[in-house]
Amino acid sequence: MHLAICRIVAVGAQLAWFYPNLDEHTNLLRKNQEFVEPQLITRVLAAVFSRDAFFNPATFTVLYWATFAFGILALAGLFTRPSLLLFAAGTWIFVAHLFSYGDRHHTEALFAIFLMLLVIAPSGERLSLDAALRRRRTGIAGAETSELALWPLKLTLVLLGLSYLSAGTAKMIQSGLRWMNGYTLQGHVLADALSRGHPAGVWLAQQHTLAVLLSVFTIVFELFFWVALVVPRRWVPGFLLVALMFQVGLWVTGGYDFFQHMVLLGLLLLFLEPSWWQERVRGRG
Amino acid sequence: MTDQRRKALVSAVIVLVIGLHGIPMVLSAERGTLWPFMVYVMYKNSRDAPVQVNQRRILAVTASGIRDTVTPERLGLSITVLDQQYHRPLMNGDSSVVPGLLERLNQGRTDPYVELDLVSETYTVTDTGLSRRENPVVTFRAPEVTD
Repeated sequence: MHLAICRIVAVGAQLAWFYPNLDEHTNLLRKNQEFVEPQLITRVLAAVFSRDAFFNPATFTVLYWATFAFGILALAGLFTRPSLLLFAAGTWIFVAHLFSYGDRHHTEALFAIFLMLLVIAPSGERLSLDAALRRRRTGIAGAETSELALWPLKLTLVLLGLSYLSAGTAKMIQSGLRWMNGYTLQGHVLADALSRGHPAGVWLAQQHTLAVLLSVFTIVFELFFWVALVVPRRWVPGFLLVALMFQVGLWVTGGYDFFQHMVLLGLLLLFLEPSWWQERVRGRG
Repeated sequence: MTDQRRKALVSAVIVLVIGLHGIPMVLSAERGTLWPFMVYVMYKNSRDAPVQVNQRRILAVTASGIRDTVTPERLGLSITVLDQQYHRPLMNGDSSVVPGLLERLNQGRTDPYVELDLVSETYTVTDTGLSRRENPVVTFRAPEVTD
């Protein structure tokens, strides 16, 4: 059941919140004859179909609506695996295309991988039209639980741990302890908060002591979030809650829009080790 | 598919996904082109006092005096490329990028841009708060335009 909810939330969020902007893609296609720094996915597609045949506004408009349709099918759980596969593949193509013009961001990557993991996991066994049709045809309901339902969430936790460790390690290798001098965080936050219009970040950039404390917190958090993988399971929600607050804080201050990470962290918080809230719900019941 | 095969498939996928994240660490030349398998090396550089930031934008001006901000959407480029290829060189007084930028901006226009104004402000964190200083506007004209 939990994995089915993950499918519905992840696909729903991608469709309603993170779905590509078709105008942005067709504008890039119209104004560029070449890619600036093509992603591997883009290069493979250009090699298989030829650049002009695939990377043009007409093809991308068809791809946009086809991906959207597969997303709706995946959301409803009809032909769940193929629908999810095509939805995730379409999503990957759009993001890879956007990042083939010299710019790339980290916000979409883990979420896109999670969508693809849902293809392999039994995410359509419950809360899906497939399950309803199967029950009607055979009279057999989908399994209540599955040994294979939890691994996409566990793998996502591993990938989050690796990504935070990568970010923290890069800071330490490049800058060492100087990264925590407060001025670094003040400078980065001021630049982004001004350009993105985030007054909380402009205020933070003027608080040196607070910036030092938050810099130390950032490094400790990024370097040691992976500990969540080895601590007793009941402690994991605490790590996830801190990570969620970290991402929300980044958004409020600097406009760092890791909304996909927030959705993933929310799903992990609810379903990776759900006893913390299930016990409270039962207690109230 | 048997349960054992399913578990073997899942194990292979887990190893593959984690392993693929190692590739951009090893292949530094391909580091930026292997999305969604990336290294997370953002904001790694330290800064010192004073805390100072430049905000800049380019205004494109037509012969009839219409002024438009040069945005990534107008150029069909990413914000990173706009900053690296145009903002930074112009901030350093490098006018060699002007003809290329105007050519790109004027594609399909009947009222072409003939002038670029680099507008910038410097923000500095001081003991008394945030100070804002407007820098002189730097004007770059199209090569064929003369006063």
